[in-house]
Amino acid sequence: MAAIEVHQFAQCITCHAWSSDHSMVAFCPNNNEVHIYKLFQDKWEKLHVLKKHDQIISGIDWTASSNKIVTVSHDRNSYVWNQEGSEWIPTLVILRLNRAALCAQWSPKENKFAVGSGAKTVCICYYEQENNWWVSKLIRKKHDSSVTSVAWHPNNILLATTSTDGKCRVFSTFIKGVDTRESKTGTTSDSKFGEQIVQLDLSFSWAFGVKWSPSGNTLAYVGHNSMIYFVDDVGPSPLAQNLAFRDLPLRDVLFVSEKMVIGVGFDCNPMVFAADETGIWRFIKFLGERKTPSTGSKYGSQFSGAFGKFYGQSKYGVSNDGVETSRTSGGVHENCINCIVPLREGSTSRTTRFSTSGLDGKVVIWDVQNQEDLLDYL
Amino acid sequence: MAGGAQEFVEADNAEAIITRIEHKSRKIESLLKQSRPVEALKTALEGAPPKTRDERCKSATWIVVHRAIMAIKDVDGMFSSLDPEYYDILMKYLYRGLSTGDRPTCDQCLRIHEKLTEKAGLGCILRCLADTGNTV
Repeated sequence: MAAIEVHQFAQCITCHAWSSDHSMVAFCPNNNEVHIYKLFQDKWEKLHVLKKHDQIISGIDWTASSNKIVTVSHDRNSYVWNQEGSEWIPTLVILRLNRAALCAQWSPKENKFAVGSGAKTVCICYYEQENNWWVSKLIRKKHDSSVTSVAWHPNNILLATTSTDGKCRVFSTFIKGVDTRESKTGTTSDSKFGEQIVQLDLSFSWAFGVKWSPSGNTLAYVGHNSMIYFVDDVGPSPLAQNLAFRDLPLRDVLFVSEKMVIGVGFDCNPMVFAADETGIWRFIKFLGERKTPSTGSKYGSQFSGAFGKFYGQSKYGVSNDGVETSRTSGGVHENCINCIVPLREGSTSRTTRFSTSGLDGKVVIWDVQNQEDLLDYL
Repeated sequence: MAGGAQEFVEADNAEAIITRIEHKSRKIESLLKQSRPVEALKTALEGAPPKTRDERCKSATWIVVHRAIMAIKDVDGMFSSLDPEYYDILMKYLYRGLSTGDRPTCDQCLRIHEKLTEKAGLGCILRCLADTGNTV
């Protein structure tokens, strides 16, 4: 089994993040609080409750080395939390948004973070030493709709975004005094802050969940139309592959290696995609155990299965075998998975462990190391 | 891609598209006379929906696709020779058929819909519902 740990932390989890040594997990239980749990001898205990936001927290990210947490919320604000002694001290970051913040991510060097919002803007926030203040710089008028996801290129400059206008875009976030010229690479070397490098117009429906491969050569994002898009050579002449799959749409993706991507979403079961030697991406399998390909007799109930999920499950039609097969399929998540986070060991570009959380309130840790059929792609 | 430029030249384009559909319609009739309904359906779905927002073109295309769909007698047999690349576009026309409310059309569309969902999965339905750019 690829799922190695399952923790039922809450009724519903909007997002989660891990401390650098993975001994602590921070998540939002679908309200205005962040709960931090720590592992004490096989038992997870609630250590802190970060209470400062007024509304649902939509994004959490924990830096790998400097032990800072950023949270963003529908209340349009963001806090950066620093641990002092046993306390977490918040610093307000005024994002200057007039709509909810939807997602947040620290840059690889941890000197900036990006926030996507419902105000059709992206905020790039950085710390100004002289004023002891986090500044938010906006990328405005580039998106036609809400920004659902942001992803940093390993070079710390390029930022990819997905939006409900169906497009995926890549921007330069070069900030004078924060970034140095050397950190720029290749074709993007003379772009200013907020300059759009490329706009990928592949999807006709909402786009969610974007990530770069560990090297930054490939970009993957998903659409609400049960498609996943892989883009190589991001720049003036990108090479794109559209891959349609037969199940419910994805919400987020993660590169495990250059050749393997995990997608999570409404199907409640992580999907594995991999590229062969020729670079062609394919759906490989579901990571959890899976219903057998539906037969004629099961088809009618497959649809009810979707309705069961839609209506919040068990109350409706548990007796229906369709609901049973689809819900007990992976057995791990019982509702839409909306967050996938890598559990990186050291500085390797390979990630074999990652965690997922979703609307069922579970945080599940997965390991693909023990999946023999996938080892070729790691 | 919702090619912006393409959509604006459509006024002149519409006549050309209609001519093409008429040509297609004749081809379909002749295929049906030869009892090759699946070939007819493939011909109908080829190049559909037309790359235009012109409702006349869309309706004309629907009429030929509808003709081909209604001529399918053996649904299982159809899927044995219909390539997966047609699945997404066929699903869109099945929903258009269901939206007409016409009894025989709905019966036929539901019959094909069942088999198609089995073949192409829920993802196919999602792609059809979520696509706001290429409506049929």
